[in-house]
Amino acid sequence: MSNDSSELGTEEINEYVSVRIGDQLFGAPVNAIREVFTPQSVTSVPRSPSEVAGLLNLRGRIVTAIDARTRLGLPQRSADETGMALGVERGSEIFGLIVDSVGEVLRRPRAELEPVPAHVDANWRSMVTGVHRLEKELLAVLDVSAVIGSTAGHEAA
Amino acid sequence: MDDLISEFLTETAESLDVIDSELVRFENNPDDRAILDNIFRLLHTVKGTCGFLGLPRLEAVAHAGETLLGKFRDGELKVTPPMVTLVLESIDQIKVLLAALENTGVEPAGDDKTLIKRLEDAAMGVAQEPTEPEAPAEPEVPEGFDADLGRELRPGEVSLADLEAAFQNTEVEGIEPAAAEVAPEPEATSPLGVGDFDPELGREIRPGEVSTAELEAAFASAEPDPGMAPPSIITEDMSAEEALQTAVAELSGNYATAGSEGGPRVQQTVRVGVDVLEALMTTVSELVLTRNQLMQTVRGIEDDEIKGPLQRLSAVTGELQDGVMKTRMQPIGDAWRKLPRIVRDVSNEVGKKIELLMDGNETELDRQVLELIKDPLTHMVRNSADHGLEMPEDRVKAGKPEKGTIKLSAYHEGGHIIISIADDGKGLDTKRIADKAIEKGLTTSDEVARMTEQQIHRFIFAPGFSTAAKVTNLSGRGVGMDVVRTNIEQIGGVVDVSSTAGRGTHFSIKIPLTLAIVSALIIGCQDQRFAIPQLAVRELVRVGAGSEHSVETLNEARVMRLRDRLMPIVDLHEVLGVGDRLNTEETAAFVVVLDAGGRNVGLVVDNVLDTEEIVVKPLSESLRGVQAYSGATILGDGSVIMILDPNGLAGEIISTMDDEATTEAAAATVSEVQETQRLLLVRAGGEEPKAVPLSLVTRLEEFDPATIERTNDRDVVQYRGRLMPIVPMGAQVQCTEGQRQPILVFSENHTSIGLAVDEIVDVVEERVDLQMGSDRQGVIGSAIIKGRATDVVDIAWYLDQSRAGDVQRRTSQRRRRLLLVDADAFTRRMIAPLLAAAGYDVTPAGGVHEVQRIAEAEEQFDALVGDPAALDRIRSQGYWPDLPTIAVTDWPEDTQAEGLTAVLPRSDRSALIATLDEVSQEEKAA
Repeated sequence: MSNDSSELGTEEINEYVSVRIGDQLFGAPVNAIREVFTPQSVTSVPRSPSEVAGLLNLRGRIVTAIDARTRLGLPQRSADETGMALGVERGSEIFGLIVDSVGEVLRRPRAELEPVPAHVDANWRSMVTGVHRLEKELLAVLDVSAVIGSTAGHEAA
Repeated sequence: MDDLISEFLTETAESLDVIDSELVRFENNPDDRAILDNIFRLLHTVKGTCGFLGLPRLEAVAHAGETLLGKFRDGELKVTPPMVTLVLESIDQIKVLLAALENTGVEPAGDDKTLIKRLEDAAMGVAQEPTEPEAPAEPEVPEGFDADLGRELRPGEVSLADLEAAFQNTEVEGIEPAAAEVAPEPEATSPLGVGDFDPELGREIRPGEVSTAELEAAFASAEPDPGMAPPSIITEDMSAEEALQTAVAELSGNYATAGSEGGPRVQQTVRVGVDVLEALMTTVSELVLTRNQLMQTVRGIEDDEIKGPLQRLSAVTGELQDGVMKTRMQPIGDAWRKLPRIVRDVSNEVGKKIELLMDGNETELDRQVLELIKDPLTHMVRNSADHGLEMPEDRVKAGKPEKGTIKLSAYHEGGHIIISIADDGKGLDTKRIADKAIEKGLTTSDEVARMTEQQIHRFIFAPGFSTAAKVTNLSGRGVGMDVVRTNIEQIGGVVDVSSTAGRGTHFSIKIPLTLAIVSALIIGCQDQRFAIPQLAVRELVRVGAGSEHSVETLNEARVMRLRDRLMPIVDLHEVLGVGDRLNTEETAAFVVVLDAGGRNVGLVVDNVLDTEEIVVKPLSESLRGVQAYSGATILGDGSVIMILDPNGLAGEIISTMDDEATTEAAAATVSEVQETQRLLLVRAGGEEPKAVPLSLVTRLEEFDPATIERTNDRDVVQYRGRLMPIVPMGAQVQCTEGQRQPILVFSENHTSIGLAVDEIVDVVEERVDLQMGSDRQGVIGSAIIKGRATDVVDIAWYLDQSRAGDVQRRTSQRRRRLLLVDADAFTRRMIAPLLAAAGYDVTPAGGVHEVQRIAEAEEQFDALVGDPAALDRIRSQGYWPDLPTIAVTDWPEDTQAEGLTAVLPRSDRSALIATLDEVSQEEKAA
């Protein structure tokens, strides 16, 4: 982005992979993302928790695909949209967080990160750590681990 | 030094395990010098190495144990169980010390004076208190306070007194007669103690050091037999490392010796970390998958330039996989090594005499699997020793040898390993298990009444079930067979039990050889594929349109009849919630018969696609809550599919199925009669084979067609001074001139008839799965025999035919009513018409369930005929108490005749009819 505050030290800069889920722009911290890939031939798993979109083969490793829309309580994508996946490694497992599209990497000063407004839905607040005000819209910063992590807890509950 | 210690720990642990089992062997064969020599050498090496590494406490204990062994070897002391226990105690103490050494890197403070004193006393021949187990190494108070130092010992330090004691003990070494014979005569100097001046070192010996002279003596004496491998002498100019290696080499030499004498077999080995092997395995698994994907991609491409190298790649990958798998294989004997000791301890503790037989030690299986079954196996063997076998006096009373036997065996069978643990003890207490199961709410007394013994016995695997009336030190601490079962099922195995009262109990375990790669059946369900481990698949049955099997409904729950037993059926569509249950009346489908926790469950799937070797990947944490799966895998074409868990599915079934249905299914299997029948296969009036139960045929004869005469419109032959009517089987039998005519002779009540057939084909022994539905006269139905549809001949109909002209029997009499109970449908269908032909009205009943229904309908009979078990159950239910009961069985001599009117062999029809007639006469007279 052109409005990079290059005079600021790198210490104070947050880097985000910008992703779009539904109408909202989200930012996933770069260091939380292993890679970005196109989810192909996802095997759906009957009886799995609803947010588990299925399993897929990423270079010989089995990746559990988690649908970000389901987690955020947004309506389902239409069948012809495959979306993109953010690969997230946790423990010995890889998860793929399925989003609608992936954009460029955004660098924003840490100081500009604002807390999530209190009246935002509690489910969202548990997965969004803060908000950056961009020129045209808001960038909601995703807590990637929370988006994926709560699935296990979700299931148990 | 740390590396040295850890290597020492590994080596020593192995030696100690060998010593453990060798000692037990030795106890049973006190005259076997080879065993004793082996033990002695092993212990000696342990002691020697301890000396090097400055581990005086260990050394002292090892030394004392060795001294005692030396006395055995020299014949100065007799080998007795208390003595062996004492030596074992010293081994245990060494293990305790080693464990501490492993944890902290130093020997624990304290000493083992009590134990050493006992060992020394024993060696001196001082009478021992009969095995009063003392806490070894009782810590002295204040612990670690050293009088010589005037302060407490720091960790790693050893008290001067201990050292002195240790070195004093070492003195015995020098005067060991065996050593003296072979080794160069040690200088007449007494071994040097701490603080003494060692001329070879040129300085005083520091605590923890051992004089070089003494070392030489020690190693020289380690090889007392000149016929053995050349003695490895450790010299003063060797570094400690070299010395240890020499010691280790010596140890290996001992292994080799042991191997040649039938002891544990050890080959030349390299130590590799388990993690390295695991990583290698993972990599190879990936390689295999990639290879499979590649093969799939080029399938159909006819390009030799690719095909050639690819085939080689494929072959090499296969070899690599085999090779890596082999590195993970270990003989099961490794898991068994501790068992002789455990059995010995149990037998001493509870005063039983037990012999442990082990067969198939060398059977190999995956290291990971081995680790996981070690504990269950130990538990089961302990159980057998503690609960299974009786006390010697009880055994003698029961007419059994005083010494009980536990037999362990292992063998490979089609990608699995079968382990069995059998004892010849008292068997399981069926009544107590049943009572306990009812008490725990696992079942009801009604259900128990309908169960077979084996079904009741299986309750021991139910969670929280432990039958030990008395909790002993050894087993029965609430952790019972359910834990064993869980452990075994976790690795995809199954465990079952069979037991005969008074004869013993037999556990069998079937587990896959390896966990990493399993053979799986790939099935299709609603456009999706799933894998089912082959181990759990009992068989595949086609159902629906055009198939002989069909799924029936019993109050919403679905069942299928398979070999005359009802099996609960569950539809994978329903379990997984992917669409409606299949309408199996219209759509062809497959039923995969699964072994789910010991019982059959049928799983309806759309398609059976393939079998494939799959690499099992663990389930993602987000999916662990779903019971239906045990893992996931990547197929050759790169797609990910789920692996179904049969036990999890069974769990689903129980929740989705009516309880009633499972009860029905259990009742249907009531006596699990699955006997084979000997059948005579003949050809008569057509190409297709016909079958006659051999037990009904009196004799096979051949007649010259010329001897067949015709009288009164019937064919007859003169047979044993009488006329025997000949009836053709089938439409018409061609009697060819000059060829002898085969005849099946049936005799009943002094009359015989002959059935003429074209050809006698074969005698087979098969289980007959009779498919009913024949309207043709003379045919009971059809069955698949030797893979061909075969008519089963209705002998009774032919008997009637031949008697057409005879005086009707019993026309004046009231037809008598019989209840025929036999779980085997085939027997029922064979016997019933015969009895009917003899003038009885027969009501057949397949199981207690049916009997109950008939009894409730208050039907009356003149006699009960059936298999002994069924009759027994009818009587215990109190139905028709006063009726004569005639048991027919294949083993009349094994049957308790008590309470039965008569016991007859199943094959003797005429005896049965004669007995029935007799019984009826008596009744009439009464």
